[in-house]
Amino acid sequence: MRAAAVSDALLEIENYSGAFRNEDGGLVPVLHQVSYRLKTGKITAVVGETGSGKSLTALSVLGIQPPTFVRSSGRILFRSVDLLTLDARGLRAIRGSEISMVFQDARAALNPVFTVGRQLADVHRLHHGGSQRAAMKRAVEALSRVSIPEPERRARQYPHEYSGGMAQRAMIAMAALICQPSLLILDEPTTGLDVTIQSDIMELIVELTRSRGLTTCLITHDLGVVAETCDEVVVMNAGRVVETGSAEAIFTRPADPYTQRLLSASQMLEAA
Amino acid sequence: MSALLQVRALSKLFPAGGGRRLRAVDGVSLELEAGETLALVGESGSGKSTVARCLVRLVEPSGGEVTLDGQSILSLPPKALARQYRRIQMVFQDPNASLNPRMRVREVLEEPLRLHLDLAPPARADRACELIERVGLGVVHLDRYPHELSGGQRQRVGIARAIAVSPDIVILDEPTSSLDVSVRGQILDLLLDLQQRLGLAYLFISHDLQVVRHVADRVAVMYLGVIVEQGPTERVFAEPRHPYTRALLSATPMARWGIARTRLRLVGEITSPIDPPDACRLVGRCPLAQPSCAARRPELIDLGDRHAVACPIATQSPHPGAPLRAANERIPTC
Repeated sequence: MRAAAVSDALLEIENYSGAFRNEDGGLVPVLHQVSYRLKTGKITAVVGETGSGKSLTALSVLGIQPPTFVRSSGRILFRSVDLLTLDARGLRAIRGSEISMVFQDARAALNPVFTVGRQLADVHRLHHGGSQRAAMKRAVEALSRVSIPEPERRARQYPHEYSGGMAQRAMIAMAALICQPSLLILDEPTTGLDVTIQSDIMELIVELTRSRGLTTCLITHDLGVVAETCDEVVVMNAGRVVETGSAEAIFTRPADPYTQRLLSASQMLEAA
Repeated sequence: MSALLQVRALSKLFPAGGGRRLRAVDGVSLELEAGETLALVGESGSGKSTVARCLVRLVEPSGGEVTLDGQSILSLPPKALARQYRRIQMVFQDPNASLNPRMRVREVLEEPLRLHLDLAPPARADRACELIERVGLGVVHLDRYPHELSGGQRQRVGIARAIAVSPDIVILDEPTSSLDVSVRGQILDLLLDLQQRLGLAYLFISHDLQVVRHVADRVAVMYLGVIVEQGPTERVFAEPRHPYTRALLSATPMARWGIARTRLRLVGEITSPIDPPDACRLVGRCPLAQPSCAARRPELIDLGDRHAVACPIATQSPHPGAPLRAANERIPTC
C-alpha cells in the first residue's frame, strides 16, 4: 500500500481556502488555509464562535456548502481520495454510506410529512436494499438502540410528535446506525437542547463511537461539552485554524491567545 | 420589611383543547428586594419565561397576587397600571426579534421616554445619547438600524431601552443565550456594572447555570410550573437538595479538564403540564420517589438561611444528598 494508507487520519483537510461571492460578483474570503485531520477512531471537536468557518468546512466535506461559496485552494482527503475532485455520482457514493452528518435542528432535518420510521426505513433501503418490511424492522431496532422508549409506536409517529431530544436521537440513529458510515459529522448536535438532554445525547454519541469504531467530528461552540467527550480539538477563529491538539493539551496548556481567551471566557463564570 | 416585588401564588393556565388546561405556572411565590439579583432557572417548559411575562403583563395571569412596594398591581386600572410599569422593564432573549427592524436605535430609545416620561424632544435626544454611552456604545450607533449592529450591540440597545425610564426592576429573560461566549462575558459585566451604579434589582431568567452562578444572589429552580428549590446561590450550588436541582447541576458540562462527574439521572423526559395530578411533579422520573410522593403535592420546606426545598424525602436525610452519592461521586462545585 501507499504511504498515505498508513496515515492514522481518516480525513485530512489541507490548506482549504475559499470565499463567498456577493451580489455584485466580488469575493469575500471566509476560509484561510484551513487544515486539520480527523484521526481514525477518535472524537475530534472543531470549536469556534459564530462565523469561524467551522460548519462551512464540514459542509464542504460532503459537498453541500452553499452555492455562493467558491473554493480557491485546498484538498479534502478521505481515505487518500480528494473529495473535491469527485463528480456528483462519486460524492453520492460517499454521502451517507461512508460519511454521514447530523444537523443542529433535528426536527427541521426530518421530513414533516413522513413518519420517522418510514424515513429511517427509506434511508435503509437506499443504502442496503431489501424489502420495506425488513427495512422498517431495522428502523425500529435502530430507534430502540438509541434508547427511544416504545420504538414500535414511536416509529409510526411524525416528527412534530417528537421532542427535540428525541428527534435528535432519531437523527443519530439514521446517521450512525442505518447508514453505517465510517465517519460521523455532528454539527452542533445539542445546541438548543436542555442540559439534561444534552448530557444524554453526548453519552450516546460517545458510546456509539466507541462501540462501532466510528471516527467522529463534533462541531460545537460549547467547550464544556468538548472537555468531557472529545479526544482531539481543533480551534477555529475567523476562518483560520488557530490551534490543534489533544483535548488535554488544549484545556490544560492552550498555546494560542485566541484559544486562551475562548477558554477563559467559557471558564470565567465557573471560576467565580 | 416588605420586599420591593412580592409574588404570591402566581398561576397561569392556558386552554389546551377538550376542556383540558396547561398549567404553565402553578402557584409560584417569590420576593425580590431592591438591588438584588434573583435567578429563575429551569429547562424548557418549566414556566420561567411565563412567570416573567405575567409580571410585565405580556400575558394575563390566571391567579395570584403581585405587589410592588406593598401595593397590589394586578387589579389596578389601566392608567395607574402604566405608571407602575415604568418601574418594571424587560430585556428579551433575542434582540433580533425584540427590536423593530424599521426603527433606528434613536427611535427605539426615545419611544419609552415619550410614552412613560413625556419628555420634550431635546430632552429625549440628550437622554438617548446618555443611554447609548452608558451601555458601552457610541453616539454614532444612534442612527443605525438593528441589522447594522452585531448581536452583542443589539443586546446592549435592548438593555439601554430597558433602563431608559429609570426602572427599579429589570427582568432579564435569557439575555445572553443567543450570544457567543466572549460576548456573553461582556454583556454580563455590563449588567453587573449597571446594577451597581443604578441600584437595579434583577429577575434573571436563565437555563445557563454557569451564568446564574456568576450573577445571582439567590436562585429559584423551577420544574413544570412550580418552584422546587430556592436559596442563596452558593448554598444551592454547593448543597443542592431537591433531586431535580441535583439532576440539573450534575448534567451541566464544565469547560475544564479532568472534572469527573457522576450524574443523578432522572428517568425519561419532562412530563406533560396538561392537567397534572395533584402530586410531586417529579413522580415517575425521580430516583428517590416514595409512594407518598404521588399522594399530594409537596410544599416548600424551610431549611433556614432562606433555603427552601419542595421535597420531604430529600430534606429528611441527615446529610445533604447522602442517600444518593457513592463514595467516589463528585458533584461539580469547582
